[in-house]
Amino acid sequence: MTVIRLSYGTAILIFCIGLYTIISKRNLFKTVIGLALMESAVLLLIVTSGYIPGGVPPIIPINGVAVNPLPHAFTLTAIVIGASDVAMALALIMKLHQRYGTVDLDKIRGLRG
Amino acid sequence: MNISFYALICGFLVLTAAVASEIEDILSAVISLSVFSVLLVIAFVILQAPDVGLTQAVISSGLITSLFLVAYSQTKKQGLWGKDGN
Amino acid sequence: MPRLSVFPRIAALFLCLSLGWWLWKGIVVLEEPEYITGPAVHYIEKTAEETGASNIVAAILFDYRALDTLCEATVIYTAVCGIALLFAKSKYRKSSIGLSFIVKRGLGFVVPFLLLYAAGIVLMGHLTPGGGFQGGVVFATATILFCIVYGSNFEAAKINPKAKEFIESSGAVLFTLIGFIGFCAGAGFLANVAAGFPKGEVGSFLSGGTIPLLNIAVGMKVGAGMSTIFYSMVKFLEVRPEESPEVDKP
Repeated sequence: MTVIRLSYGTAILIFCIGLYTIISKRNLFKTVIGLALMESAVLLLIVTSGYIPGGVPPIIPINGVAVNPLPHAFTLTAIVIGASDVAMALALIMKLHQRYGTVDLDKIRGLRG
Repeated sequence: MNISFYALICGFLVLTAAVASEIEDILSAVISLSVFSVLLVIAFVILQAPDVGLTQAVISSGLITSLFLVAYSQTKKQGLWGKDGN
Repeated sequence: MPRLSVFPRIAALFLCLSLGWWLWKGIVVLEEPEYITGPAVHYIEKTAEETGASNIVAAILFDYRALDTLCEATVIYTAVCGIALLFAKSKYRKSSIGLSFIVKRGLGFVVPFLLLYAAGIVLMGHLTPGGGFQGGVVFATATILFCIVYGSNFEAAKINPKAKEFIESSGAVLFTLIGFIGFCAGAGFLANVAAGFPKGEVGSFLSGGTIPLLNIAVGMKVGAGMSTIFYSMVKFLEVRPEESPEVDKP
């Protein structure tokens, strides 16, 4: 069981926990928490894919083998975009609460009758 | 890097994710998500990615947690004015 | 509230775990690398002589793949516009008076160090881990602290929302103007050394060509944007009860 396989297994497990939270919880805040969990799992997966055992961070001067810097650049973009869309989802929850008075998904869906 | 230390970090990651998903009180779930983010920063540093670790620490523990708390407190306040909400 | 009944939850859990098993079967056949292959080899070897920066990740983000960073800044801008649009018509009844006197004085000691830390992260993005995104969010955290400790009226009086809008837009325009200088010099859009920017020597503060300027532009945009998001969500706080829209009862 090496470091890379352990990371891959953890990332997949957290992704599954996040997916389960989104599809089976009634409170809308739990949906946003599940979305954040899924995004964090994907970030861990991407950073692990560029890891070289026994490597050093990709900053000049390098003494040794540097890890792959391309996944790090991609992950920086993904973190900021993930934060933007969590903020947007929370703003939508606040407007929904102003309109319907509740954040319970069954009650909001049942209002269409 | 010892494999057992990294296995401990991964175990705590899965544990805090499960707590954030299952617990009924929203405030506890948000704090558990914040602890999850800090543990993820440690995992990123072990994987030799200091840029990514710094970004995750600042954005996910500072900004996202405070936005969650603002949204949670907004959806609790309007029930005080006599409306029939939750 | 009654919980969801048992059988759909177990079915959902089984579905998610089987998806996880299927993903694991796909990933476990990847072999663990001993050395790097692909375009990263060129980036690691040639960054010092082509760009002059020390941080390879910053060189990838702002020199080799600068167009992706411009599109990411556009995504942040769209999110800020969307959130400000959702809360545009809220009326503001009163702001809080903030926390106690000890907290206010204590924050007065902390804020200069916080701003210095943020400026250090932004300006040294080409030498150490950091850059525009991280430093911009630390700037936004300082304004969030002002909002919490002193109350929103104080924060809106000190830093005008119109000024934040101006800073954010000028960050985006600065990014695009630096790109157009590359057009005018004959090399591509957002070109770095080929467009005439000075390379400097590796490791000194004035090096890297356009990378410090792009870091400052992105830092301005991200900081002002995140601060506007927080201020819009807090401003929504006190809607008068006789003016709020009708609530459909379940």
